[in-house]
Amino acid sequence: MLRPRVIVCLDVRDGRVVKGTNFVELRDVGDPVELARRYESEGADEIVFLDISASHEGRGTLLDTVRRTAEVLFIPLTVGGGVRTEHDMNALLRAGADKVSVNSGAVRDPEVLTRGARLFGSQCVVASIDAKWSDEGPRGPGWYHHTHGGRKRTDLEAVAWARECARRGAGEILLTSMDRDGVRTGYDLELTSAVAEAVDVPVIASGGAGEASHLRDGFTRGRADAVLLAGILHDELTTVTALKKALTDWEIPVRPVRGVTEAPETGRGAGERSGSPREGTD
Amino acid sequence: MNETPRAPEMKRDSDPRSSEPVPADGVRVALLDYGAGNLHSLAKGLEAGGARVTVTTDWDQALGLDALVLPGVGSFGAAVRALEGEEDRVRDALAGGLPCLGICLGMQLLFSESEEGEGRGIGLIPGRVRRLRARTVPQMGWNDVEPTEAGTRDPLLAGLAELTAYYANSFVCDPEDTTSVIAETEYEEERFASAVRKGRSWGVQFHPEKSSTPGLALLRNFLDEVGR
Repeated sequence: MLRPRVIVCLDVRDGRVVKGTNFVELRDVGDPVELARRYESEGADEIVFLDISASHEGRGTLLDTVRRTAEVLFIPLTVGGGVRTEHDMNALLRAGADKVSVNSGAVRDPEVLTRGARLFGSQCVVASIDAKWSDEGPRGPGWYHHTHGGRKRTDLEAVAWARECARRGAGEILLTSMDRDGVRTGYDLELTSAVAEAVDVPVIASGGAGEASHLRDGFTRGRADAVLLAGILHDELTTVTALKKALTDWEIPVRPVRGVTEAPETGRGAGERSGSPREGTD
Repeated sequence: MNETPRAPEMKRDSDPRSSEPVPADGVRVALLDYGAGNLHSLAKGLEAGGARVTVTTDWDQALGLDALVLPGVGSFGAAVRALEGEEDRVRDALAGGLPCLGICLGMQLLFSESEEGEGRGIGLIPGRVRRLRARTVPQMGWNDVEPTEAGTRDPLLAGLAELTAYYANSFVCDPEDTTSVIAETEYEEERFASAVRKGRSWGVQFHPEKSSTPGLALLRNFLDEVGR
């Protein structure tokens, strides 16, 4: 049975993980390599690096960060931010990303999704959609896709755009509700289920997670294949382990947290490498 | 292809999970580079299991070490091009006992033909590679790997009866001879062969190098078996 995924997103700028509600108030929260590993040990199913310096600065630092992460992280790593061409995709994949997410680049040249899928396989190509509701959009009221970190509204209605991205070769949709981002009142279930119904590729719900029940609702009512988290973990309001425990209690069949270091009841050492997966806190 | 990307430079000085150096007498593994995708994690995962890893595009080198690993990155087309003209030689080497682990696309290459595109596979295992029949394709995420009866005795899956592993695939393998199947996985309404074995060659549809601690244990099982 395919397990609903819990994905942790780290905003990376100039080689550091930062957080903040806007670009003015960015706060340094740590080293991306260390944080990614910590989230793996807590039971995260995947890690996303979103490079928020990419539009403005060189990419050398990011590639180096990805390289160092890939050497110690043994869960999938998606990297996005400023990806324009298949050459950008190739550089990130060769540095150690497993998937690359594309946002503005796909609006400018939708064929980049097709070329990426042909060269690297569609499982490597993630279309990132930043959707915000508008009563006065060019195609009437609806969710509209935004680019440039949410600063520019496009004429693309989000559900139709998701369908087009999948048709052109994207193997996954990373769907962020800008209305809910940072608000912590739950994912936009209406938006998420509309996109999940429209496409035949997996959909990651993003924006709005505040507590475990929001994740549950994202999977059930939102019909998401995966949920993405950031702020509530970085603020240490909860842990992936605790969230997965709650989801398991609600019979959401997430991947059990195994091989985590905090499993004292087994009586085995944290550093032991064992042929059998250890039961964790699940 | 717009370019032929260079092989990544692999540092082989340390084990990512500890400070132990890779032993000088470790199993020598050739990791085949089709020219696309992330090879770092797999190289590091193999090194964590004690291997000395050589990333190569050269078949003479790939078939000349202790074991061959066919990674699961890039597209089918790129992999088939890397294999072109070498199919029979590779098949003979594997049939002759060179240990091999094929991962995802690398597992599919062990078969003869694929719906995904033109070109032949290695043809070590008779059967066909077909597209998943499920609604949501690719299969993306963690799924259970259920050993068959043969699989419960297979050294590759030793200690991994409860394995949940990471998949990212649109295609799966249909072996003609089901006795080669050592594990199955259920996805939506279908079951498919998620691990196969023929002689000293194994194929896994999932990514052990992306399956956290249990995945690294599987890579170590493979290396232990190669060293036996």
